[in-house]
Amino acid sequence: MDGRTFFRAFRGGGGGKNGMSELVRLTEVTKVYQGGITGALNGVSLLVEKGEFTAIMGPSGSGKSTLLNLVAGLDRPTSGSVAVGGMDLGKLGEAGLARFRRDNIGFVFQFFYLLPNLTSLENVLIPAQLKGSEATARARELLGQLGIQDIADRFPARLSGGQQQRVAIARALINSPTLLLADEPTGALDTHTGDQVMELLGKLNRDGQTILLVTHDAKLATRHAARVISVMDGKIVDDARLESPERAASEVIRVRSEEASR
Amino acid sequence: MSLKFGVLGLLKGEPLHGYEVKNRFEAMLGGTWEVNIGQIYTTLQRLERDGLVRPIGRRGDRGKLQYELSPEGHRALDHWLAQPDSGPQQLHEDIYVKLLLATRIANGNLQQLLGRQKRAYLQRLRDLNRLEERARRDGRVDLARLVRGALLHTEADLKWMDELSSERFGAEEGARTE
Amino acid sequence: MRAIFIKALADLRRRRLQATVIFLTVLFAMAAGTTAVTLMSQTRDPYQVAFEKQRGAHLQVAFRPNTDPQLIQGTAATIGASAYGGPYPASNIQFRFGDRKFYVDAVGRDNPGGAVEVLNITSGRWPVANDEIVLTRSFSELNKISVGDRLKVTSVAQTPTLTVVGEVVDIDEGSADLSSQRAWMLPAALPALSTPDSSFYLMDYRFPSDPTGPQLQTSLGLLKTSLPPGSVAGALTYLLIGSIFNITNQILTGVLVAFSVFALAATVAIVATLVTGIVISAYREIGIMRAVGFTPYQVVQVFALQIVMPALAACLVGVTAGTLASQPLLANSSHALGLAYRPTFSIGLDLLLFAGGILVVAVAATVPALRAGMLKPIVAITKASAPRGSGGRMLRHAAARLRLPRPVVLGIGDAFARPLRAALTLITVLLGVATVVVAVGLPRSFELINNSETGAGKYQVVVTRSSAYPDSDVMRVLNAQPETARVVASGGQNVIVPGVGDPVNTRLFRGDSSRLGYMVVAGRWYSAPGEVVAPAALMHDAHLKIGDSFTGTANGQPLQLRLVGETYDINNLGHSLFMDIATMASVTPAVEPFLYDVTLAPGSDVSAYVRRVAAVEPDLLDVRASDTSTIAPVKIIDLVLLILAGVLALIGVGGVFNTVLLNTRERIHDTATLKALGMSPRQVIVMVGASAGLLALVGGLVAMPLGLSLHHVLNDVISNSAGNETPPVAYAVFNAYELVLIPLLGVGVAIAAALIPGRWAARTNVVEVLHAE
Repeated sequence: MDGRTFFRAFRGGGGGKNGMSELVRLTEVTKVYQGGITGALNGVSLLVEKGEFTAIMGPSGSGKSTLLNLVAGLDRPTSGSVAVGGMDLGKLGEAGLARFRRDNIGFVFQFFYLLPNLTSLENVLIPAQLKGSEATARARELLGQLGIQDIADRFPARLSGGQQQRVAIARALINSPTLLLADEPTGALDTHTGDQVMELLGKLNRDGQTILLVTHDAKLATRHAARVISVMDGKIVDDARLESPERAASEVIRVRSEEASR
Repeated sequence: MSLKFGVLGLLKGEPLHGYEVKNRFEAMLGGTWEVNIGQIYTTLQRLERDGLVRPIGRRGDRGKLQYELSPEGHRALDHWLAQPDSGPQQLHEDIYVKLLLATRIANGNLQQLLGRQKRAYLQRLRDLNRLEERARRDGRVDLARLVRGALLHTEADLKWMDELSSERFGAEEGARTE
Repeated sequence: MRAIFIKALADLRRRRLQATVIFLTVLFAMAAGTTAVTLMSQTRDPYQVAFEKQRGAHLQVAFRPNTDPQLIQGTAATIGASAYGGPYPASNIQFRFGDRKFYVDAVGRDNPGGAVEVLNITSGRWPVANDEIVLTRSFSELNKISVGDRLKVTSVAQTPTLTVVGEVVDIDEGSADLSSQRAWMLPAALPALSTPDSSFYLMDYRFPSDPTGPQLQTSLGLLKTSLPPGSVAGALTYLLIGSIFNITNQILTGVLVAFSVFALAATVAIVATLVTGIVISAYREIGIMRAVGFTPYQVVQVFALQIVMPALAACLVGVTAGTLASQPLLANSSHALGLAYRPTFSIGLDLLLFAGGILVVAVAATVPALRAGMLKPIVAITKASAPRGSGGRMLRHAAARLRLPRPVVLGIGDAFARPLRAALTLITVLLGVATVVVAVGLPRSFELINNSETGAGKYQVVVTRSSAYPDSDVMRVLNAQPETARVVASGGQNVIVPGVGDPVNTRLFRGDSSRLGYMVVAGRWYSAPGEVVAPAALMHDAHLKIGDSFTGTANGQPLQLRLVGETYDINNLGHSLFMDIATMASVTPAVEPFLYDVTLAPGSDVSAYVRRVAAVEPDLLDVRASDTSTIAPVKIIDLVLLILAGVLALIGVGGVFNTVLLNTRERIHDTATLKALGMSPRQVIVMVGASAGLLALVGGLVAMPLGLSLHHVLNDVISNSAGNETPPVAYAVFNAYELVLIPLLGVGVAIAAALIPGRWAARTNVVEVLHAE
């Protein structure tokens, strides 16, 4: 089956924002690395639904990035299956995976990975152009939404880290991916800029974007994600769904003195 | 100790009635510490007794009586502010005791205890995140800083949980060597 | 020092591919260079070397047979010769061998030694009987005659038979494919082979030091005045013979040297590119080296050594290979010279070449490595990788405007991302393509010229009659053959042209000579008696322009001539005249044609025709199919050109490959990112291929005019050295398709070479690359 046509159909017929349709399914996924590279996975099963903001949390080497790479089709599992939108990635060849990625996946990296010899706008356009389509209007619109329309013609070397990551996010969104993957997106940013980027991801999710966030930082993981999956030594050790009611401050923090409690 | 100095601190700027002190204290803490007016009056009386504050104007009508800092009060406040918190680490939460007890009595249930606690911490992190967000939205930078502190504390707690659950035999050994 | 070696060796192991590229390019360049230099050193003035060894004659004079030999002998003192040989009785004889007939000047001589013109016997022995003859080796080899063969003399009525008993090398005449040859017999044998108009005396003179042309003319004038008028029949100077010898070697060595310089330049470009690339890729490593205590100087050494070590091996193999490769060429040139061949090379020269090669490579490696040495350690360590090249923006935008697919646009941008590297690569491509253009064009120019000399396609049969068989009979026989379409008869006569020292060899035609294939460089072919055409050298020496009239002298009688055109003729180094035989009508004795160029009707059986005509009078007619094959020196030059073109094309491909490899490696991170964004393996290969293709295309486009002008220049050099100007047709040997096809072929080869790094990039594991950060 051709990945591209499948996904068009999938996107067209998929449920709305509130529909609880399955998007990612990992079944008994094992990934073994030779040469002692950390990040192996050991029998991981996982289901992610459309519209979810899921955080995958774990220390470095726990396998969380491997999990993300498998979902993106950048890597193949040693055993088990990875399906995105009902499509078994194991059945796609290299070219098929490439098409799958550019049509369905938006990837945001820790170190932005902008192409240094292309302007912001050109960077954003790349995934569209690889498909053979021009999307300059949409790219400019995205840059505008992310508040960086004025840097469209600048080169990455002349951008701040925050600006670079915004460009990278715009690039990830240009093809309207079904799934946005973010691997430590704030890891190379200062706290304040990182907060802004996280805010952006939160807003995207509220607008309906399914997001899979990988981080080692619990503060970030719990910031917008309604679901926090803990990975340890290649296994999922916890899968927590968090509530988000409005709580009074006193229900969350209580400053007490010994004297007062006496 | 801090209610006493909190009251002293609020009086440093201007003389206040007891009710004013209560309202301002609660506003400052953004709802994270609720005090009743009785506690405020008791504190003010103690401070007056120790010569750190003094009433302005007529005695008798408690509610209308304004207090101001005495020179000793100023000194005591400055000294307190300058002093680092160097007392023992404060561990208020029950988890510490639960951990010790679980190690002793119910070996097999330790992991479950840790797991449940971890989720609670995650939820707390989420709540704190939202609180911080709200504080920033309201322009309460001071309060956001306070929440930030709480966030980092909770994060440390979470790390502690992870560490405990990853050292498999730690619990048993801990029990024996005690 | 130990640390430097260990580090350089370790790096070398890691950079095997780069080492291989260096090894191969240096090897090719050194082999070509060594071949050229060895040839140049050994053949620099080959005639001069052999001339001294064989005590060659500076001046050779032929005297009419009625001159007193005593008087001839006395001329040596008259003109101040320090040594002389002769006078030897001589006679121009014709003999038949198999069904072919040859002319040689038979010289009567007792022994091969003497003070002048020592003959070097290469096989057989000197004649001891009157029916024995010795030939030049050059002549024997050209005509496949060997010792023991019997020759039937047809120029005298008795037709005696001679046995070939030896072969010699004679320094005082040109090689058999370029000039007439002598043969030697005992003096006592000559009278029986002589007729009054075929015999003469030959005298060799040698002077204390090498005389100049004017000095020789003065001596000759002195000699003539000391004898009765009309005693001197002709003269030959060592300068003329030397120039005949040297043409081919000069051309060959010139071509070789030019292209060795090309090869070396290309190698320098590749080495510089490589080292720059290695320095860029090892940015952080350099910082670490500095941090652990390598001095800047030592860092430079590490990088230079990585290049010099494989270059050392390549130079060793290359110099050896080049020396060996030059041997067959030297042997060949010895043959062209008629010299004995011995393995010739110089250890000292080879060592010098070896050292020179290493030095050039070391300098090419050190200059870019200096950048590594200068690098501040903290900058090098903290910057994860060197600043990536960001050139090529304009190109990319231009490509984007052309609406080319994105991978192609990205590849095009990458090609010129590093302008210096791109420029160096262009040099290698440029030299490669230019050489290919020359290698394609020059043999064609040669062939054109060769065809004009041999009449290929214009006439098929050449008939020569001996004087005993009259011209009218020959014409009757030829016209009686049904296949004969056209006969152009020609004869020869020496004409004295004012301002030219030696009598000018003149070809006189009867019939439509304009259809024999002679090339007209300027003006037109003659169309009426009194009109002449001449090659450039004669025009130059006689200060003649097209349209000029002048008075020549034939047999002491004046001739009114008008130059109407310039032609091409290498036979007499451009000293010849072409005219209608009717021009000589007034000259006595009348010149009779002896050579007949016969054009056959299309589809005729040439060999049957040759057999039939030869059978009419086997002893008196020499009939053969026109030999249109290329002469040996041209074949060698063609072959050498082909090899050089191959080498330089390979180096050019190596240059593109090297640059694409470096670019791909440096950009692997970007490529991995692109793959993560959804670039398919095929698109990656297209991207890398586009980058290589563009480099080759730009290089190829620039190379075309360069190659064409080089072809132009080489043609001129070669024509000029033979006393001619290049005919315009010899320039225009390329057709439009080829001019497009050659660069396109280069693009194709470059793209094919880019497939290796392209596939490597396409197979890159995205995860490994991106997480190696």
